[in-house]
Amino acid sequence: MKILKAALGAAALAAGLWVSAASAETLRVLAWEGYADPDWVKDFTKQSGIDVDVVFVGSDDEIWAKIKGSEGKDFDVMAVNTAQLQRYIDADLVKPWDLSKIPNQKDVLPRFQDLSKITGMTRDGKVYGIPFCFDSIGLIYDTDKVKPAPTSMSVLWDPQYAGKVLAYDNGEHNFSFTALTLGIENPFQLSTDQFATVKAKLLELKPNVLSFYTTADEALQIYQNNDVALIWANYGQQQLKAMQKAGAHVAYIAPTEGSLSWLDNWALTSGAKDPDAAAKWVNFLLDKKIGAELSERTGFGNTAAASSNANDNDKLVWLESVEDPLKRSDLWNEIKASQ
Amino acid sequence: MSERAAPAGPSALAPWLATIAAYVVPLGFVLAPMALFLVYSFFSVDHGSIVFSPTIANYVRFFTDPVFLPIFWRTCLLCFTVALLCVLFAFPVAYFLTTLRGRSRYMLLVLLLVPLLMSYVIKIYAVRSILGGNGMLNRALLATGLIDKPSMLFVFNLNAVLLTLTVLLIPFAVLPIFLSLERIPKALRHASADLGATNAQTFWRVTVPLSLPGTLSAMSFVFVLAIGDFLTPQMVGGQSGFTFGRIIYSQFGTAFNWPFGAALSVILAAVVILAIRLGGRLESKHGGAK
Repeated sequence: MKILKAALGAAALAAGLWVSAASAETLRVLAWEGYADPDWVKDFTKQSGIDVDVVFVGSDDEIWAKIKGSEGKDFDVMAVNTAQLQRYIDADLVKPWDLSKIPNQKDVLPRFQDLSKITGMTRDGKVYGIPFCFDSIGLIYDTDKVKPAPTSMSVLWDPQYAGKVLAYDNGEHNFSFTALTLGIENPFQLSTDQFATVKAKLLELKPNVLSFYTTADEALQIYQNNDVALIWANYGQQQLKAMQKAGAHVAYIAPTEGSLSWLDNWALTSGAKDPDAAAKWVNFLLDKKIGAELSERTGFGNTAAASSNANDNDKLVWLESVEDPLKRSDLWNEIKASQ
Repeated sequence: MSERAAPAGPSALAPWLATIAAYVVPLGFVLAPMALFLVYSFFSVDHGSIVFSPTIANYVRFFTDPVFLPIFWRTCLLCFTVALLCVLFAFPVAYFLTTLRGRSRYMLLVLLLVPLLMSYVIKIYAVRSILGGNGMLNRALLATGLIDKPSMLFVFNLNAVLLTLTVLLIPFAVLPIFLSLERIPKALRHASADLGATNAQTFWRVTVPLSLPGTLSAMSFVFVLAIGDFLTPQMVGGQSGFTFGRIIYSQFGTAFNWPFGAALSVILAAVVILAIRLGGRLESKHGGAK
C-alpha cells in the first residue's frame, strides 16, 4: 500500500509539474553560443516571468534546417545574420517586429539607430531584424614587420610582403573584399566586367600569399612557424586576441575602403506564439550592461554599448548575400589552380 | 514434434541470417553509397538547389574546362611519385625487419606502426611545424651553416605536399613489403648461395623478384591513399599546391555543387579502381612465390 501511495504521489507530482511547465509561457529561442548565457536567461525569467528554452546552433545551414523544417513553428525568436535574413523573408518564415515593444532599440549605438540604412534589415518599411552582435573582418599585421601601420587592404598586394601574406580560403569573401579594395560600390552584386577585374586582381595577389587558411588556430600555427607579416582576419577581433595571447606582436585595422562585417540580428519567426514575449526578450538583451558583458565574454561587438570592435567612424560594410555563390566558388578554384 | 522442430528452427535460419548479414554490410554501407554518388553525378545545380533531371554536363565540364584536366594529371603524377618514394624508403626497412629474429622483429614492426594510431591532423600539424619557414628543419639547416637564409623550397608548395604524404604513408608501404619478404622460403636463398651466387646476386635475382607482389600492392595502396587525401594538400600545399582532392572538397564545402563533386569523385574512384587492378594484375604475373 505504501509503495502504491508513493507511486501515485510521484505520478501526481510529475503530472502537476508537466502541466505547470506546459501552461506557463515559454519562449523558444534559437541562438548562437554566447547570445543567451544562463545568467541572462535567469535574470530575464525573474524580471518577466517568461521561461526561456534556448537551443544553440553551429551553422547558418542548421538554423535554416531547423526553421524551414518546422515552417517557423518550433521557435519564437532566432539569431540570424544580415546576409541570411533575406531568404527567411522570401520564404515567409519571419514576421516584422513592432518597434514600439522594443524601446531599448532607441538607445543603441549611432550606427544601429536607423535600421533602414542597414541593407536587408527592412523590407517595405517593416523591420525584420534587430541588430545584436557584430564584428569586422579586418587586417591583422605584425607590428615589427609592417611599418607604418597599414590603412587599406591594398597592402596585401605590396611586393615587399611577397610570401608573407596569409589569406583566407573562401571565394565569396575574397571577391567581396577585393572589390571593395578596387573601389567597387557594391561588392556583393558584381557585373561580368567587374568579375573579370576582380579575378585578375586576385591572381596578382597569389604570389604574395604563403597559404590560404581556414581556421583561426591554423593561421596562428602558420604564423608561429613562418615569416608572416599580414593576415586577412576572417575571425576579426577574436583572432587578434588569440594571437596576442599567444605572444604575437600584432595589431588590427579596419581598412578605410570599408571592412566587410557580419551582423547578427534577432528575428521573429512566422510561427511565434507570443510576439510580445519575443519582443521583451530582445528588449532585455539590448541593454548596456548585457552588451558590455557580451563583448567581454565573446570578443564580438554589441549594439548597445561601445566596444573596441569599431569606432563610430570606421566604415563597416554589412555582409549581404552575393549574386552567385557558385560562380564565385568556381572562379576561386580557377584562381587557386592557376600556375 | 514441436520439441524437435523448435531447435531445428533457428539452426535452419542461422545460415540465412548470416548470409543476409554478410550481404547487408557491403551492399548497404559500401555499394549503395557509391551507387548514390554515381546517380548524383548525373544531376545538376541551379541557384543552390539540386535539379534532379539526368545530364552528362558534369562530365563534359571535366573534360572540356581547362582547369580540371591539368590539375588531375598533376595530382596523379604527384601521387605516383609519393608511391614510388614510399616503396623506396619502405623496402630497406622491411628488409631489415626480416633479418631480425624473434621478439625484436615484432617490437620494431609495432613501433613502425605506432604513428598510425595518432590522429592524421596532429601529424600534419607536426610536419608543418618542422617544414615552416622558421620551422625546425630550416632552423637546423641555418644552425649548421648549410644555408644562410631560410629555404622556401619545401614550405607551402607541391614539394611540401609530396614530402608530407610520403612521410605519413610510409608505414602503409612497410607492411605489405615485409609480409612478402617474410614469405620467401629461406631455402631458396640458401640454394642460390650454394650455387655460387654472391649476396648481391641473390638479393637482386631471388629476393627482389619474389617480393614484387608485395612491393606492387604497397605501391598501389599508397597511391590510392594519397590520391584520396585532400587534407594534406589543403594544409601544407599553400597557394601553389592545389590538387584534385581539394577541388572535390570545395564542391561539397563552399560551392554546394554536389552533383559536380560527385562526378569528380566518380572519376577519382575510376582511377583508384584502375590502380588497384593494375597492382593486382602485375602482382599475379609476378606472383611466383605462391
